[in-house]
Amino acid sequence: METLFSNLALGFATAASGSNLLYCLIGVVLGTLIGVLPGIGPLATIAMLLPATYKMTDPTSALIMLAGIYYGAQYGGSTTAILVNLPGESSSVVTTLDGYQMARQGRAGAALAIAAIGSFIAGTIATFLLAAFAPPLAELAFKFGPAEYFALMVLGLIAAVVLAHGSVFKALAMVILGLLLGMIGTDVNSGVARFSFEVPELSDGIEFAVVAMGMFGFAEIIMNLEQRENREVFTNKVGRLMPTADDLKRSIGPILRGTTLGSILGILPGGGAVLASFATYAMEKKLSKTPERFGKGAIEGVAGPEAANNAGAQTSFIPMLTLGIPTTPVMALMVAAMMIHNIQPGPQVMTSNPKLFWGLIASMWVGNLMLVILNLPMIGIWIKLLTVPYRVLYPAILLFCCIGAYSLNNNVFDVFMTIPFAILGYVFKKLDCEPAPLLLGFVLGKLMEEYLRRAMTISRGDPMVFFTRPLSLGLLIAAALLLAIVFLPAISKKREEAFAGED
Amino acid sequence: MVPALQVSCGPAQAPRRRQLLRAAAGAAAATFTLTASAVSVAQSYPSRPIRLVVPFPAGGATDIIARLLAQRLSTSLGQQVLVDNKPGAAGTIGADLVAKAAPDGYTLLMATSSSHSIAPLLNSKIPYDPFKDFASIAWVADAPSVLVVGAQSPYPDAKQLIAALKARPGKYNFGSSGIGSYPHLAAEMFKWRAGGLFVVHIPYRGTGLVIPDLVSGQIDFMMDSIVSAQSHISDGKIRALAVSGVQRSNSLPAVPSFEELDIKNMQISNWFGVFAPAGTPVSLVAKLNQEFNRLTQSPDIVERFNKLGAQAHQASSEIFAKLYRDESEGWKALIARAGIKADNP
Repeated sequence: METLFSNLALGFATAASGSNLLYCLIGVVLGTLIGVLPGIGPLATIAMLLPATYKMTDPTSALIMLAGIYYGAQYGGSTTAILVNLPGESSSVVTTLDGYQMARQGRAGAALAIAAIGSFIAGTIATFLLAAFAPPLAELAFKFGPAEYFALMVLGLIAAVVLAHGSVFKALAMVILGLLLGMIGTDVNSGVARFSFEVPELSDGIEFAVVAMGMFGFAEIIMNLEQRENREVFTNKVGRLMPTADDLKRSIGPILRGTTLGSILGILPGGGAVLASFATYAMEKKLSKTPERFGKGAIEGVAGPEAANNAGAQTSFIPMLTLGIPTTPVMALMVAAMMIHNIQPGPQVMTSNPKLFWGLIASMWVGNLMLVILNLPMIGIWIKLLTVPYRVLYPAILLFCCIGAYSLNNNVFDVFMTIPFAILGYVFKKLDCEPAPLLLGFVLGKLMEEYLRRAMTISRGDPMVFFTRPLSLGLLIAAALLLAIVFLPAISKKREEAFAGED
Repeated sequence: MVPALQVSCGPAQAPRRRQLLRAAAGAAAATFTLTASAVSVAQSYPSRPIRLVVPFPAGGATDIIARLLAQRLSTSLGQQVLVDNKPGAAGTIGADLVAKAAPDGYTLLMATSSSHSIAPLLNSKIPYDPFKDFASIAWVADAPSVLVVGAQSPYPDAKQLIAALKARPGKYNFGSSGIGSYPHLAAEMFKWRAGGLFVVHIPYRGTGLVIPDLVSGQIDFMMDSIVSAQSHISDGKIRALAVSGVQRSNSLPAVPSFEELDIKNMQISNWFGVFAPAGTPVSLVAKLNQEFNRLTQSPDIVERFNKLGAQAHQASSEIFAKLYRDESEGWKALIARAGIKADNP
């Protein structure tokens, strides 16, 4: 414990130096801005800024700034998800479900505030976890083999059905369509390009952000254009900016549970972090005494997932810092930033560059504090965005999305790909099919197939491998229980009752 | 200037050096006759920023090598050299872009074996010809492969690993970063040279993802590039048993080479080199070749490359062209033998 405090003292001394505070501030402000701008994600921003950090003399400052962009974007990303129903990152898809509904009811301020508060609490706890238990937690990654990942993905997909608040049949259909879209691209096991129609760009699959922008953002815009007379107006009923005492009381449980789940899933390489916000949402909906409120502006549906994705963003640094294994593309860029400054990522960073290791961790807490201080007063400004007339707001959203799509691979192909998804998204809106389960199927489908086939190849075709490994068995049992809950007659009846009042 | 060329790959090596020398001499003569007319082009070059396309995402070894060189090149040429990442489809999207760019010396490519020696063999629909559509400029570096096992692996050295692999064919697994990836082909080469082993291939989406399964024993070995393996080796998570090639690597001096272990013809090495579109004036190619060769000799670049696990190299543009063509021939034989296919049926 004593060494932890002396380490943290060193960390805070490093993070609190004038220049590092400045870089941290630059990072979180930039992160918030790109998070708020629809379509432009932290990956593209960090990739663009990486060369600039090569010229910085102190690698600690460089990493502090890049990390700030990453978790700052998690804060900012929820803003567009709540205000304009446009998730920029896979982690903020879930925030659109209840966050946007809250905005429609004039409670955008409360939604934004709870997202910021939840993220801050999660960030604080996860940073502490990172400082105290990074090396033992990193070992968790080695407990997860292909069989365990497959079981985890099964659990995630079943959670996707729980996400939907309409017909289970439609949700299943959307999950399956998502799985099919995820099949596009080069199959890892055979090396064959599937459904690529000889387009080289398609051999890497479709980008998540392209699907999300098309199906959420663009489809929403088309939908609103259609309603010439009866355009949805919720700009005037902004209401109070801060959450009520009741909101806070409702949110504290989801925030803590979301933090726990997000912290654990964030550590896992290979798609674990994607699940954090989805899984938290499904869990809160199940735990809630009033699950019928979910999807209609339940504050728990914003608080839990927002806490989970921020906790996951912090703990995803654990495998990168302690093992040198990047779990996400953003972490791969962090590894590059270290390597260019002649630092080999791995456990020796802690001993050979203690100022960098502890300084970066301490800066995360400092950055989270800056973010909450910055974001709470800014809510008033963001809300003003809602009063921007559609004829200005929508072209701006389209423009930023196009820039964002282009920046994914510096290729116009991704911009064009948003068009079919915009049309598809519009059709699905007409058919009352929700895009969120499709997106989860899309993200998890290819991972699930990959892990299934890998586990089966290693076991030489013996499916018992999923049941003989205890972790895998445990996850599959959890999935079976969840499935039973969804389809159990008593509960599904309650489901129907709950949704009977809708449209 | 040009060091003894480290043979990169391929079984037939004996007649090679002579051919190389002849090719180099012929090209030198050609350069000489062209010099007078092209000298003005080379003198005014570069008059605007140069774009160096990296066909992989920011942050990988190719990107880091490109950025280290671009930074120095900007100073020495007096014009910005901008790195432009165009990732996708195993480096072939970025390579195609450069193949079709104007041959004026302002669009260059930092390529690897992937886009020029391997991908065209595995996919007949690649929209460019790796030999006809490019003017080779300079060989800047190469990175040998290293045979690695998890730290808990029961095999202390390559000999015992090979003995176990031989004793129980089909029982063991090796990992790679995908069908037709460099680690995949390197491992197939190892299976071939170690006496025709039968080990099951488990492909992943990148070498980083293989490491946890290698450490936990799901996978028995991998032929990784030293660039990506080095940090895990120094962490003690994985152990290096042998490096490809005749000599030991400067980055891992304690690890024996395959040659020392009596496994011949394992001279495989992933190269990094610079290309321009075909038709780029010879004088510009010569000028850039000179610049790159000068840079890769500077001690700090040599040291930075070593740290990455790569070895800096210099060669004339003709020798470099020969090098990757020969390498491609070597892979062709291996791919046919191992029956690797990634093409659509």
